[in-house]
Amino acid sequence: MRVGATIAEKILGSHSGSRPAKAGDVVVARVDFAMLHDGRATNALKRIEELGAPRLPFAARTALVLDHYSPPPNAEAANIHREMRAFSDAHGTVLYDVGDGICHQVLPEGGHFTCGDLVAGTDTHSTTYGAFNAFGTGVEGTDLAAVMMTGRLWFRVPETIRVDLGGRLQPGVWAKDLTLAMLGRLGAEGANYKAIEYAGPAVAAMDIDDRMTLANHAAELGAKAALLEADAKTIAWLEARGAREPRPVKADADARYSERIEIDVARLPPQVARKHRIDDVVGAPEVTGQRIDYALIGTCTNGRLDDIRQAAAILKGRRIARGVRMIVTPASRNVYLQAAREGLIEALTQAGASVEAAGCGTCVNITGHLITGDGDVVISSANRNFKGRLGNANSEIFIGSAATVAASALTGHITDPRTVEGGDWRPTARAA
Amino acid sequence: MTTLIRGKARLLGDDINTDLHCSSKYHPGRDNTTVARHVFEQLSPGFAGRLSRGDVIVAGKNFGNNSSREQAVHILRLLGVGAIVAASFGRQFFRNCINNGLPVVECDVAGITENDEIELDLALGRVAVPARGFVRETPPLPAEVQALLAAGGLIPFLKAHPDWKTT
Repeated sequence: MRVGATIAEKILGSHSGSRPAKAGDVVVARVDFAMLHDGRATNALKRIEELGAPRLPFAARTALVLDHYSPPPNAEAANIHREMRAFSDAHGTVLYDVGDGICHQVLPEGGHFTCGDLVAGTDTHSTTYGAFNAFGTGVEGTDLAAVMMTGRLWFRVPETIRVDLGGRLQPGVWAKDLTLAMLGRLGAEGANYKAIEYAGPAVAAMDIDDRMTLANHAAELGAKAALLEADAKTIAWLEARGAREPRPVKADADARYSERIEIDVARLPPQVARKHRIDDVVGAPEVTGQRIDYALIGTCTNGRLDDIRQAAAILKGRRIARGVRMIVTPASRNVYLQAAREGLIEALTQAGASVEAAGCGTCVNITGHLITGDGDVVISSANRNFKGRLGNANSEIFIGSAATVAASALTGHITDPRTVEGGDWRPTARAA
Repeated sequence: MTTLIRGKARLLGDDINTDLHCSSKYHPGRDNTTVARHVFEQLSPGFAGRLSRGDVIVAGKNFGNNSSREQAVHILRLLGVGAIVAASFGRQFFRNCINNGLPVVECDVAGITENDEIELDLALGRVAVPARGFVRETPPLPAEVQALLAAGGLIPFLKAHPDWKTT
């Protein structure tokens, strides 16, 4: 009897030979595209050297991305960048240099993969590619070395949690809020080892930027991959960026899931993760009034165009609260350019924000360009808020959507975006 | 292929984030040998000193969580850890162990005590303390993973099998 398969089982199965894969199997699968960022380059390049392969046939389908040390804070980081550029020249990899953007934004924008593909990147947020119906997953240096030499990698086929999202998010409520609500429910790492399939009317209603947040932020749930089905929006977006012919993969109706979760999102208010724990989540109204010193928008989770549009809709023609420092970091050069064309950079700069060159920006204290002071309170659209993540264990990081961050910058305390003018902005139908 | 591992149990608790306890991040600029001397010292002072080559780390749930840095595994290899048995592992940490030839077994560890002489059979899927008649069955590691471990990790495996044929 034929047994139904999940998207993860189908993609890993089709990439590893004729037999269909099922959860728990270990397969050696053909990879379609690989990514190495500067934060993991030292280890990966050492492992590649150790492997000593005469050729790296997969180099042309590997992107090296200089985004974490952007710009490099010291000579060691600058030297890693020099080494990566030289490696790229020597082996013919794709290269995204400092200022081009964050790996998880530039890979889809570059049209490097399509629906049904298997993508391995040296970063936990490689789950982002699942927004495009690709199995994207995080790996380490030894894995990357193996892929570059053989074009293949071993995977344990994950069990899948199916999440059906009914209803439609209210204006001012985003995939960010939905994921925070999931984190509150399942806990950080609540989906460890597993894939998540997100489906339902709420996903269909989301634009691509929000779907990327949904797939990206699944990393905080511990997910190995987060998979969405492809629809006309997905295919139009990929085609506009020159991706290969899409081969959408759907789950079978009788697929086996380790767990099924149904959420009606229509009544979900904006969510905020409180200091130090990404799964200590409450509705924004419950933390309204919490003073803030920093408002940060950016990262691979929420530094995209729709995030910047949300912020500009709230802050255009206004001024952020006295004493608040606001930094906006577009996820890529393309995002930056489009934000400039739409006048968003000007609106945010006039409102008192500083807009940085594209990159990982204020996600974590790697570059040293933002270290919080003792007692500083941050509201950020990033994905992690461990104690000390911004270089000072005596400061606090709260996490919310770009709209929540912008509304909070305006008032100087954590604010439900639905209570300020422009906070109900949502994208209207537009070309991909 | 030898799949039997014997060693003395060295106990650690739940949710051990290796990033916090054996990463160079907290010993900036130091090499792995130096970092290894401080392994898990915040949890268990003097841990590295008590560890002998071949010892088996026995831990609770989420061992190696929140840390995908491969360095954490390189350090445990450097210290000669023979294997790790834990109730569950962080996903990437689990991969990194296999890729670096460090056997990992997911198993309920209740009842295993410090200094127990522990015996692991990777092919059969069995964790035992023979002296006390303690035996626990686990799902055996898949043949593909056993092949990587037997070779000493993914890199030595690929040097021997550049076409990645596992059989």
